[in-house]
Amino acid sequence: MNLEDWYRQDRLPHIYCAGCGNGTVLNCTLRAVQELGFRQEETTFISGIGCSSRASGYTSSDSLHTTHGRALAFATGVKLVKPHQHVIVFTGDGDCSAIGGNHFIHACRRNIDLTVVCINNNIYGMTGGQGSPCTPYGAITTTTPYGMHEQPFDLCKLAEAAGANYVARWTSYHVKELTEAIRSGLEVPGLSFIEVMTQCPTSFGSKNKMRLATQMIDMFRENAVLKVKADRDTAAGKPLEPGKFIVGEFVRRHNPPLGVEESK
Amino acid sequence: MKLVINDHRCKGCNMCTKVCPYGIFQEGARPGARGYIIPVLDHPERCTNCRLQKFYGRQLCGMCQTTCPDQAISWIDEQPFEPHKVVIEY
Repeated sequence: MNLEDWYRQDRLPHIYCAGCGNGTVLNCTLRAVQELGFRQEETTFISGIGCSSRASGYTSSDSLHTTHGRALAFATGVKLVKPHQHVIVFTGDGDCSAIGGNHFIHACRRNIDLTVVCINNNIYGMTGGQGSPCTPYGAITTTTPYGMHEQPFDLCKLAEAAGANYVARWTSYHVKELTEAIRSGLEVPGLSFIEVMTQCPTSFGSKNKMRLATQMIDMFRENAVLKVKADRDTAAGKPLEPGKFIVGEFVRRHNPPLGVEESK
Repeated sequence: MKLVINDHRCKGCNMCTKVCPYGIFQEGARPGARGYIIPVLDHPERCTNCRLQKFYGRQLCGMCQTTCPDQAISWIDEQPFEPHKVVIEY
């Protein structure tokens, strides 16, 4: 099985804007799946609504494009009916944290054997750049023209508190680490949550002085702080600087999962 | 093996110019088949994957291919007796 076979070649090139990070995340996910040697018949990609959720349409294995925010609910159904399937959920920040927030918390609590790749582009990209629960403080969007004055969600901490077995955060700049994280997420039984910070130069960057995708990539490179360094700084009494975010593997534990065959 | 950019898929985001450790991809100036300004290759024979992919039997670096959001970058086998562009540097 070749890596190219995982793409639905007749659908490419995809409809994402120039410089959108979703294509990178799709590459990393399919590469992780390819490295693990999964067969197409036993892999299912599920997504909700949004830019990120178009990704499942470009994979040649079975895929479900479901209703807004309910990707995890559909994925639970697929996993419980077919426990041998490897179920991967693509979801966006608006999809996962806003309208599907409750599904997300309860999927983490039940610890269903899914791999959730949350593509966080800080904004509702598809509908024209409205502020989402993950928009950083002070960012300008269509609905917050004077700057966002609400604190953003930290989805990794939420997943960790709700009981997910594997939690990691990377950006679309750290492709090797992201591929490794998705691979670990697929291997760990129980809910694996991987948050990926991606660039949206069209809706987010153009309003926040980062018009080019390369400028947003530079921003990720400067603002991402590795978890090891962040822990060291916290121990030394230095708080995280505003605007920076922590990347790395947060949790890896072995709580009893739901939807895993007894024989495993 | 040689490095190729599919100009029907490339949307000219220039992400490859940021991630290639050898700086092979340079910002282009001329529009491609679909009107996007696609990057140009600067001495592509320096690419590790082009040189050593067959020798090691696996993909080596692959940063450009993984990062490319439009799946436009790939490696293909060279034809026998393919003309090469020779640059003489003084």
